[in-house]
Amino acid sequence: MRRYLTRLAVLAWALSAAPDRLAAQSSDTLFATGVRAYKNLEFDLAAWLLRREVAQLTTAGAPVAERTQALVYLGAADLFRGRRDSAAVVFRRLVTLDPRYRPDRLVFPPEVTSLFDAVRLQTKTVMVEVPRDTTIGPGHGTFDIWLIASSFQTVDVTLRYTDGAPFRPLYAGPIGDSANVQWDGLDAAGSLAPVSRVLLRVTSRAQTGELAGIVQVPLDLRQSRPDTLPWPSPPADAQFLPERAKSGTATRSLVGGLLLSGAVTALPAVVGGSDTPSGPRAAVAGAIGLAGLLGYVLHRPGRPLTANVRANQTLRDAWQRRVAATTAENARRRRDIGLVVHAGEPTAIQPRGP
Amino acid sequence: MRLALVVLAAALAAGELRAQALHPTGSASLVTARVRSEVPAGIDQFTGSAFLGQGALAMGRVELSASYLQGTLNHEGGSVAGRDLVEGTVLLGVRALQWLTLEGGPHARAYTLAGSTQRWLFWELRARAATTFVGSAAQGYAELWRAVAADANVPEPFDHAQGGEVGMILRMARAPLSARVGYRIDHAVLGGGTRLETVDGVVVGVGLDWR
Repeated sequence: MRRYLTRLAVLAWALSAAPDRLAAQSSDTLFATGVRAYKNLEFDLAAWLLRREVAQLTTAGAPVAERTQALVYLGAADLFRGRRDSAAVVFRRLVTLDPRYRPDRLVFPPEVTSLFDAVRLQTKTVMVEVPRDTTIGPGHGTFDIWLIASSFQTVDVTLRYTDGAPFRPLYAGPIGDSANVQWDGLDAAGSLAPVSRVLLRVTSRAQTGELAGIVQVPLDLRQSRPDTLPWPSPPADAQFLPERAKSGTATRSLVGGLLLSGAVTALPAVVGGSDTPSGPRAAVAGAIGLAGLLGYVLHRPGRPLTANVRANQTLRDAWQRRVAATTAENARRRRDIGLVVHAGEPTAIQPRGP
Repeated sequence: MRLALVVLAAALAAGELRAQALHPTGSASLVTARVRSEVPAGIDQFTGSAFLGQGALAMGRVELSASYLQGTLNHEGGSVAGRDLVEGTVLLGVRALQWLTLEGGPHARAYTLAGSTQRWLFWELRARAATTFVGSAAQGYAELWRAVAADANVPEPFDHAQGGEVGMILRMARAPLSARVGYRIDHAVLGGGTRLETVDGVVVGVGLDWR
C-alpha cells in the first residue's frame, strides 16, 4: 500500500509539473495507462486515471462506446479497491448511458459482472432510438420509436406539447428487453395538429411504481405539401381553323364568273370579229356565270365548315382531357400531405444522480 | 423571227429543265365551228361540227402543246358546196407566272374545196391566263393570240390576224378528269380589209390530266 501511494505521489508530481504535456496526450494514452494500471493490480492509480478519463470524455462528448469502456474499468477498479458503493454508482451510470451494454465475461471476473448485473436489474432506464429525419403520411404512415430497456420495468410513452400538456399517449405498460412503439402522426383526436414541435417523453417506473427516470426527445414537425401542377394552357387561337366560311371564296366565285362571262361576250369585239352569232357565246357565258353563282352558293359566307369544326373539337377535347388529368393529379397531391419529423438529441432526467 | 422565239423560250426555260417530271395532258372536244369569209363579191358562211384533239407535255415551266381539228362545214345558204376544215397547231410555251403562259409557234389551217385546197399558215404569239375561281374545282381561262407572220394561198396580201378563247375547265376532285366549255374566235384581215376571215365556235370537251 505504501508502495502504491508512493507511485501515486510521483505520478501526481509529474502531472502537476508538466500539465501542458499531459493535456497534449491523447485520451487513448490516459485510458491505456489506466487499463495497464488495472491489469497491474494498481487499482488506486487505475481508478484515479480512469475517473479523469471519464471526466474528459464526458466533457468532450465522446462516443458512448469510449465512455462505456472507461466506465466499466473504473467500476471494476473501484470494486477491487473495496469501494463497492462507488462501483455500483459507476455501473448505474454505465447502464443509464447504454442499457444494452454488458461487460465482457472473458475480461472481467464474476465479481465485476455480478455486481454489474445486480445494478442493471435495479436500474430502470430506457434508451430511445428514433430516426433522425423522416417523413410519414399522417394517418397511414408510422414513426417508429425503439425503446431499449436496461431491465424489466413499466414505461409510459407519450407525446407532449412543449408546455408539457399531453398531445398523444402512445404506450403504457411493461417492457422487458426492447419494444417498438409507433406513431401515425396524428394527435389524440385523430387529426393533424398544426404544431411545429412536440416532446417524446418516456417515463420509466420501478415495479413499485416509483419514478425511475425520464427520457425526452424533441420532435420538430413540419407539414409538406407537394406543389400542384399548373393548368394546361388552352390551345392558342392560331391553332383553331375557321369554322365558318369567309366571304373571300364566295366573292371570288361570283366575280370570277361575271368577269369570265363578260370576257366571252366581249371577245369578238376584242379580236375584231364582226357579225358573229350571239347564241353560242351566250350559252358559254351563261354556263360560266351559272358556275360562278353556284360556287357562291356553295361557298356562301358563314357556311359551317364541318371538317374544321371537327378538327377544332378534337383540339378542345384533347385540352379538356389534359385539364381533367391535371385536376385529378392535383387533387391527389393535395391529399398527399407528408409530416416531416426531425428528432433532436435525447435528454435523460434521473431522480437520483450517480 | 422564228429563231428569236425559240431562243426566247429557251432562255426563259433555262434551269428549269433539270430534275423536272413530265406532266402530260390531253383532251378531246367537239367544236361547233362557223367560218365567215367576207370578200367584195359577197359573204360566204359555213357552219358545222369538228373534232378537236389537244395534247400537251409540260416539264417544269416549259410546255409543248399540239392540237388537231378536223370537220366538215356546210354552206348556210346551201348554194355552195361544203368545205372540209383541217387545222393544227404546234406551240412551245413557257409559264412566266403561276397563272400566265406565253406561247409561240405555227398555226396551220386548210379548207378543202372542190378541186383545190386553201392553205393558211400563221406564226402566232399567244398569252394564256388561267386561275381557279370556284374553289379548286372550276378554273377559268382566257387566251389571246396574234399572228406575227402569215402565209396563205389567196390573192389578197396578208394584213393581220388575231384571236382568242375564253372558257372554263371543271376538274374532278378524285380523278384526273376534266370537262371544258369555251368560246373561241379568230379574225384575219387581208388586202387592207378587202377580205375578212372569221372563224368562231363553241368548244365542249373532256380531258385527262395526269399529275
